[in-house]
Amino acid sequence: MGKQIDLLQGTLDMLILKAVSLGPLHGYGVLLRIQQISGEQLEIQQGSLYPALYRLEHQGWIASEWGESDNNRKAKFYSLTAAGRRQLHSETEKWNRMASLIASILRTTSEQV
Amino acid sequence: MNLLARFRSWLKWIANRQKLESEMETEVRFHLESYAADLVRKGLSQQEAMRQARIEFGGIETHKDDVRASVGIRWWGELGSDLHYGVRLLRKNPGFTAVAILTLALGVGANTAIFSIVNAVLLRPLPFRDADRLVRIYFNEPGAGLRAVRFSKPELDDLQTRAGVFEDVTPIFEGSENLTGTKQPERVEGVNGSFSYFSMLGVIPQIGRLFGPQDFAPGFAPEAVISDGLWRRGYGADPNVVGRTIRIDGDPLTIIGVLPRGFRHPGPTVSGDADVFGAAGLSGDPFPPPMRGTRILINGIGRLKPGLTLAQAQARLTAMAAELRHDFPTDYPPQAQWTIEIQPLQETLVGNVRPMLLVLLGAVTLIVFIVSLNIANLLLARASGRQQEMAVRLALGASRGRMVRQMLTESMLLSLIGGAAGIATAVGTLGFILRLVPANVPRLNEVRIDWVVLAFALLISLLTGLVFGLAPALHSAKVALSSAIREGGRGSGYSTATGRLRDVLIVSELAFAVILMVGAGLLLRTMRDLLQENPGFSPTQVVTANTWLGVPNDPKMDPYLGIPGKATFDRELLRRMKAIPGVELAAITSSLPTTNSNPNAVDGVAIEGFAIQDRPAESSQDLRAERIRISPDYFKVLQATLLRGRSFTEGDEDGKQPVAIIDESTARKYWPTRDPLGRQVRFGTDPTKPWTTVVGIIKDIKSDGLDIDGVPHIFVSTYQDPSKEVSVVLRTSLPAALLEPQIRHEIQSIDPGLPVFNVSSMNHILDQSLASRRFSADLVGGFAGLAVLLAAIGIYGLLAYMVSQRSREISIRMALGAGRDVVLKLFLQKGIVLAGLGIVAGMVVSASTASLMGSLLYGVRPHDPAVFVIVPALLFAVAVLASYLPARRATKVDPMIALREA
Repeated sequence: MGKQIDLLQGTLDMLILKAVSLGPLHGYGVLLRIQQISGEQLEIQQGSLYPALYRLEHQGWIASEWGESDNNRKAKFYSLTAAGRRQLHSETEKWNRMASLIASILRTTSEQV
Repeated sequence: MNLLARFRSWLKWIANRQKLESEMETEVRFHLESYAADLVRKGLSQQEAMRQARIEFGGIETHKDDVRASVGIRWWGELGSDLHYGVRLLRKNPGFTAVAILTLALGVGANTAIFSIVNAVLLRPLPFRDADRLVRIYFNEPGAGLRAVRFSKPELDDLQTRAGVFEDVTPIFEGSENLTGTKQPERVEGVNGSFSYFSMLGVIPQIGRLFGPQDFAPGFAPEAVISDGLWRRGYGADPNVVGRTIRIDGDPLTIIGVLPRGFRHPGPTVSGDADVFGAAGLSGDPFPPPMRGTRILINGIGRLKPGLTLAQAQARLTAMAAELRHDFPTDYPPQAQWTIEIQPLQETLVGNVRPMLLVLLGAVTLIVFIVSLNIANLLLARASGRQQEMAVRLALGASRGRMVRQMLTESMLLSLIGGAAGIATAVGTLGFILRLVPANVPRLNEVRIDWVVLAFALLISLLTGLVFGLAPALHSAKVALSSAIREGGRGSGYSTATGRLRDVLIVSELAFAVILMVGAGLLLRTMRDLLQENPGFSPTQVVTANTWLGVPNDPKMDPYLGIPGKATFDRELLRRMKAIPGVELAAITSSLPTTNSNPNAVDGVAIEGFAIQDRPAESSQDLRAERIRISPDYFKVLQATLLRGRSFTEGDEDGKQPVAIIDESTARKYWPTRDPLGRQVRFGTDPTKPWTTVVGIIKDIKSDGLDIDGVPHIFVSTYQDPSKEVSVVLRTSLPAALLEPQIRHEIQSIDPGLPVFNVSSMNHILDQSLASRRFSADLVGGFAGLAVLLAAIGIYGLLAYMVSQRSREISIRMALGAGRDVVLKLFLQKGIVLAGLGIVAGMVVSASTASLMGSLLYGVRPHDPAVFVIVPALLFAVAVLASYLPARRATKVDPMIALREA
């Protein structure tokens, strides 16, 4: 049970929250949605999606429910809970702050030091 | 809240594991098939699409395992497999498992049983409402060196009204009473208190009512409350018992209520539970007028006002005592420094058995330690054998923490099985153990295995598991990969690190054994000294019996009133006793040696004040002695030695000069420089009473107990100074059981209303008086023996293991020319060094803690040189023997065979 939260893992959690915030999705749907909105730019190892999904559910940020998929098969659908919405909000804010901070650091030229 | 969500989710997983696992399976399959379908749409073949999907998904089992970890149930599953593996290991080594579980069961069982007694007697509050506010009240005269002196009605009233710290106060009279009117006259324990005694304790009757203000009578109330025991025994649990008349010491009393089962009077009683409860107003007949100096009350119990601490109440009482001393200087001579003391009621009831119980608890705790150290050693030996397994697991990627957890799970499993067996042992043997516990330990009827005891047993089991599991667990985590696999391959296991750990375990085990042995040695020596103690008389061929003449509240009801009435009874009693065939001599005493039969005694000694004629009254010397009333042949029956003067004769009776015989202690204390013969003394403070002349001196008799010394005694003639307490002593070669019916018949021929009780031999009485000491000495002695055995096994096991592990080395040495004596020395030395270290450590601890046992010792100092020499010598000898056996085996190693096998 490694507790270390590396950047990628944290990012994946946030992306999943974002994906299901747009509407309930099953696991494969989450993968497709992330690939779609990232313009196929992100490479995610498919299997690692599930530990992340279960962890988010375990923490009460998403909820799951069995339902029917587009091709009429039984599938587990995930949706954002209220706690998850708050979590996504604060994660987004944190990410934006971090991103702009790092961006400004990287923009620094030698004259500015 | 997040924690709550996680916990709920965790519980859901634990509860629906199978369903959720299969759902996870379905979910993964759905993912793979959906993706494969998309790939097929892109033009791949069905088979190729599925293969591609699996590859991109990654290791399915790894991901599933990550899912389990992320919902926090992976360790749960691991625990399951660890337990499974642990059980398999235990079953694979039935010998080891049996030894470990058996010793644990004994250790935990003994601990649980002793703790259940400690819990009931010392820890649980008394079974009364707000029991922590109940206190015993003592009146002391520290200036005269006196504790628990009597007090008067006005002093009692001062406590109630003037002190302002008590919600309620009641005086207590405890004593024997004769119950007649049932099948057989019975001697019962009676308690008389105030009319608020029961409401103060907060008792609710099971039938009828208890005393209240409406029952108030200036003297004794004509009503009684009876115990549940008497109600069942004497009235067949008749629900209509209220209103019936009970005869107590000849007085007819109306029963108004029955106490609940389990109610016990919270005070000292002679031989059992109090059965009859009365109440008195203390202000009319038969009580004397309430004067401050008329001190007739013996014991007092009070309930403190709520919110008051003991210290606050004590401070207020001390201040009040000072005011009273100032206000009534004639009643409180300044040199006596009269004062009031309170103590928690529970403390006064159980304080005297606390040291014994704590020593026993300490002893069983040491035993559990020794047991777990022994098991630790066994496990460590096994862990060394498992180094290879551990190294392989480590190499395959197990984390060290994970391995420590597995080892700990295994030992916890063992300790919990042992603990469960221990609890079963305790439950099974508690009844037996309670029969061995001396009856003077209070509250034994409250002993039971309750949740507190079970929790304690669980705690002890887990602690032992931790003690014996931690060492091998940490050890296995430290396995150095490459060397372990290599060493393991070679079949040697005694690495230096493990070796040092095992040495430490053995040394601690020996040290614990020393502590136990020193404790046992001190207790056994005390016991031996007491048994060899000369009681000052010969207890063999003496049979004793007791009766109680009763003190009716109405003197007109008393058939043995006054000196002449009692003397007539005494003479008739003696005549009949002597007439019993086989009885050579008979005598009467008011107090049998070593029985502490007086409930009003403080620390077992009923001591009274007296005056000496030619001695100034203001003397600050504490003039106190125990007064014992005897008939002329008493010293002859007991074969006590008269040193000077004469014994009593039949002529020392009413109307003649009152006479007394003193013992050496009295002579030494009060007439250190003068001849006591012919001197005159007077008990009490009544100046109109005649003086009593000392006519003889006897050698000290241990009247109060073999372990009580130096109490001054004054013997007076029962014909001149009668007592209602009558014990007969008979010199006879017949056993008590044979004489009992005749004694009963003869006594009840004089008066069918007299109870006859405790007919037994004097030897038995002496034996009983040591029951408590014998119990603790035997128990601690047994534990010490067990400790020595376990320590010997430990040393033997360690060296035997070393010899077997190093047989290759030994063979090489011997092949290279080392003699057998060199090999013998090699191992013997190891054992001797370990034993020496353990013994020294144990002696140091013992020497610094032995004084804690001081109150349990008699005639032996806590640092008794004999004990402190014999114990280490004995243990050392055992250790050398236990080392010699395996060391000798080392010399028998055949180099050829050993080398070939290796």
